[in-house]
Amino acid sequence: MKRLALVGIALVFVAVVAAALRPGPAPAQGNRPYEGTTIRAVVNAEYVKYSLSLVEKDLYDKLGIKLDVEVIPLDAFVPKTLLEFNGGGSPWDLVMFGPSNMPDYGRHFEPLEAWAQKLKLDFQLDDIADVYKKLMLRHNGKLVSMPYDGDVHIMFWNKVAFERADNKKKFKARYQYDLAPPKTWKQWDDAAEFFHGWGWDGTDNKLFGAGASYKPSGSGYSYHWWRSRFFSYGGQYFDADMKPLINTAPALRALEEMVRTMPYYPPGVLLFESEEPKTMLVKGEVPMLYSWTSTGKRVGDARESVIVGKAGFGVVPGAEIDGKMVHRPAITPGRAMAVSKYSKKIEPTMKVLEFISLPEQSLKIVMDPKTIMDPWRVSHFRSEKFRKAFPGAAEYLDAIEKTFPLVVPDPVIPGADEYQRKLSFEITEALAKRKSPKDALDAAAREWEKITDRRNRDKQKAAWGEKLAEMKAIGIEYHPEWATKAK
Amino acid sequence: MSTLVSATPAVVVRSARRYRWRRRLAAGLTYLGLAGALVFFLGPFFWIVTTSLKGDSDFFAFPPVWIPSHPSLAHYVGLFTRASGLRYFLNSLTISSMSMVAALVVSLPTAYAIARWRFGGGLLGTFLLVLRMLPAIALIIPVYLMYKQLGLTNSYLGLVMLYTVVYIPFAVWLLVGFLRDFPVEIEEAAMIDGCSRVGALLRVVVPIIAPGLAVVALFSFIATWNEFLFAVVLTGIETKTMMVLVTTYTSGGTDMFYGEASASVVLGVLPAFVVAFLLQRYLVKGLALGGTKG
Repeated sequence: MKRLALVGIALVFVAVVAAALRPGPAPAQGNRPYEGTTIRAVVNAEYVKYSLSLVEKDLYDKLGIKLDVEVIPLDAFVPKTLLEFNGGGSPWDLVMFGPSNMPDYGRHFEPLEAWAQKLKLDFQLDDIADVYKKLMLRHNGKLVSMPYDGDVHIMFWNKVAFERADNKKKFKARYQYDLAPPKTWKQWDDAAEFFHGWGWDGTDNKLFGAGASYKPSGSGYSYHWWRSRFFSYGGQYFDADMKPLINTAPALRALEEMVRTMPYYPPGVLLFESEEPKTMLVKGEVPMLYSWTSTGKRVGDARESVIVGKAGFGVVPGAEIDGKMVHRPAITPGRAMAVSKYSKKIEPTMKVLEFISLPEQSLKIVMDPKTIMDPWRVSHFRSEKFRKAFPGAAEYLDAIEKTFPLVVPDPVIPGADEYQRKLSFEITEALAKRKSPKDALDAAAREWEKITDRRNRDKQKAAWGEKLAEMKAIGIEYHPEWATKAK
Repeated sequence: MSTLVSATPAVVVRSARRYRWRRRLAAGLTYLGLAGALVFFLGPFFWIVTTSLKGDSDFFAFPPVWIPSHPSLAHYVGLFTRASGLRYFLNSLTISSMSMVAALVVSLPTAYAIARWRFGGGLLGTFLLVLRMLPAIALIIPVYLMYKQLGLTNSYLGLVMLYTVVYIPFAVWLLVGFLRDFPVEIEEAAMIDGCSRVGALLRVVVPIIAPGLAVVALFSFIATWNEFLFAVVLTGIETKTMMVLVTTYTSGGTDMFYGEASASVVLGVLPAFVVAFLLQRYLVKGLALGGTKG
């Protein structure tokens, strides 16, 4: 009997394996020009693989191409892929990467323009938000990648908190101005202080003042949260001689404010990555949060959100300088797709890149609430379908479109990831009160000097020179005096 | 005397009661402590298992859904189909089983040679163990470059060879202890009865030191199953293992795939758990023997 059962289990197992490995029905040969071709792609998370599955069927129907997608865990992604590339090869045809790491990856990618001409590809560059087109897609002046995930920070708030008459009255009495979604960092900090520790939603719950992600992991959450303040107070990463400016007056003011307002954030904020504060926002536990735009899709998802139709969306706060508002939200850091120059299937891979970047295909990816891929085409922001996807979606997309012209990119130079992680670590040291803000930023600046020296100062300076000029062209310059002027 | 005689039973009864009470209290506290420890250690695993069976709307429900009212295997199906989970699961099973067999096949004769003939002058066992002390992170780049040259990346053979080499020192060290304590007279008796040395080893020694072999098998299986660093660097689409899949869900945010992430964790630990559970009798015996006789 036991033997029979074992044989039965073995047969079921074999049947399951056979069923899983059985090829699908033979595709009809027809107008699929690349029938039988499989493209190998590499991405850094399961949800990115899932996002590609949303266009796989159409891709096959149109071109006859299948995708075989490898997922490398986020923290191992950059070392593993660069190890392969720097070894002079790559098992992948289509490569996802963080645009801020372009200086490390760019030379391994096939330039797109020549292939676009040859194959008559249309990447519809005019439909791409300017900041991506100008700053994020090129290597040595050549177009080598297309955006895939338009990561920027926008602000989200719970309208209940800001519109309750009782809250408005109390706020006015305490701060002498009207309660409204914050436009400046001062207003943000006041609101966080005001809301913290009581039931601003009319319940007896002890709720929190604001949400944030301050863990220094990944590409450095606390760094991403700090730099919107830093840049709106006139900050810049380096001067023209590659001297770090991350311990100057704008940097110090930004970090001191963050340290001072730490008590108004949820306990555990120092360990929060991206999803924890988003969950707190959609569960109605924090009244406001600035975070990735994908948060909006969770806000509008009635399966988990209690603030569907009650959420506001806007640009991340900034600073008032001489009567003029300066907003500097962060690109954080985004995803792009490129074709490996070592690929033996460059032509079909170019076709795939064009296909997944098409407005209607990429829209499917950025609209799906299960991906955390964010819109990046102008047509995404204006898509009627997307604007009706959930209550408030139009307001959400308008906020993203307003944000794009204001954003500040990462320091897009070789070793960007390393610079960011060192800075993020020191910022979190200050937030945890293990170091003073000044000591933490001085330590980060010293670490940045070491990285620059190790990577060859002249080469880094040359790379940074290009980026400095690009940033200047979009109006981002160093203004240390703003640190004292900013309101 | 009569006072003493009459007082003694009362004292005895009192102290017996006190003893019983103390024993019950101690037992109660022990069980309470054990229950607390169980909740502490198994609670997260329980939550992961139930989350893998929940529907999407239950993930964020308040009050929390401890046991789903309509448990479903949908996340396991999603993991096996959409996320190539079946491929990775079979890869892990294949690589772990092959490494386990290879570790046994290589380490048994090596340990036998060291135990019987002091092969390597008595230092080989220690030297092998020193190899085990090298951290994997120190080896990963040279191993990767070597494998790249030899065309062994993204292959079962490459991983099995590597894991076998990595686990041999521990296996040999463990088996040497068993073999040294195995009475050589029994082997000699077998050989007098007509067995060759190999025959005596396989027919007489192996059955008796089976608990030790079970420990080696178990450790190499579990260690290979759980290994991440070499697996993430040396594998490709075709050979990726279950632990790498688990990490793709658990590192860098799971977003909306909480169910599949939990299912991957359950499947990630289940085989090692099952093997350990099935072999626990041998494991305890083998560890005890190895520990006292080595």
